Amino acid sequence: MSPLMMYQLVALGLLAIGLYGIVWRKSLVGMLISVELMLNGAGLSIVAASQLTAADSATGQIATLFVMGLAAAEATLVLAIIVVVAKRFKSTETDVVSRLKG
Amino acid sequence: MELLAKIAFVVYTLLVLGGGCLAVGAHSLVRAMVGLITSLLGVAGMYLLMAAPFMAFMQILIYVGAVCVLIFFAIMLSKADEHGVESGSRRPGKALLSALAFISPAFVIGWVVVNYQPESINLPVEVPLAVLGKGLLDNYSLAFELISVVLLAAMAGAVLLAFEKKGRAAE
Repeated sequence: MSPLMMYQLVALGLLAIGLYGIVWRKSLVGMLISVELMLNGAGLSIVAASQLTAADSATGQIATLFVMGLAAAEATLVLAIIVVVAKRFKSTETDVVSRLKG
Repeated sequence: MELLAKIAFVVYTLLVLGGGCLAVGAHSLVRAMVGLITSLLGVAGMYLLMAAPFMAFMQILIYVGAVCVLIFFAIMLSKADEHGVESGSRRPGKALLSALAFISPAFVIGWVVVNYQPESINLPVEVPLAVLGKGLLDNYSLAFELISVVLLAAMAGAVLLAFEKKGRAAE
């Protein structure tokens, strides 16, 4: 098993755990935590692919820096949305917040 | 890989996956945050193993330092109840649905990763910091500026959303 494959499998594990959590979690904060896990898996996979192959290493690290910046922006916005939802509905559970119950 | 590197890799893998499981499975959101932080630190260790110390530093600075504190604020401001928001009963069949949501993509991507792997080098080369800075301000300067604008817009939007006018606070 090559080192690249081991890192990619760990990144895949992070993606799978995040996907599981985003469906399993009941509250908006829990879903945000799962999204952060998935973004981390993406960053780990990009850095592994650029560091452990003949590809340009600097490009991969810059791409991961962009992923981190986007994650920070996304977390900021979701924090504001959670605050507004918590004020209006007095809860952040998705079952309480959703009005169209299918 | 050397033996020590292998041991470190196993330890970091346990940190990453164990922390991820705690982040997804814990009833209390604060415990889930502790799991998330463990997982992020494990990923930072993996960056160190791949000879990318700047990425490890940024991982700790941005994710553990900034994003996790933001999520803690989200937990505190959303007035979660003391027994944990996640501890109540769930709809039947949700466990099956969640398992399906991750099994199918994990299976497909795992099959591709195992069967079609490119040539891997055993000793990664460390990129000097000057090359990274030159890349950010030279080749990818437009993307760099754009991500700054996105961050600014997100912060302005967050302030605007959470802002409360003085007279309307009592409503």
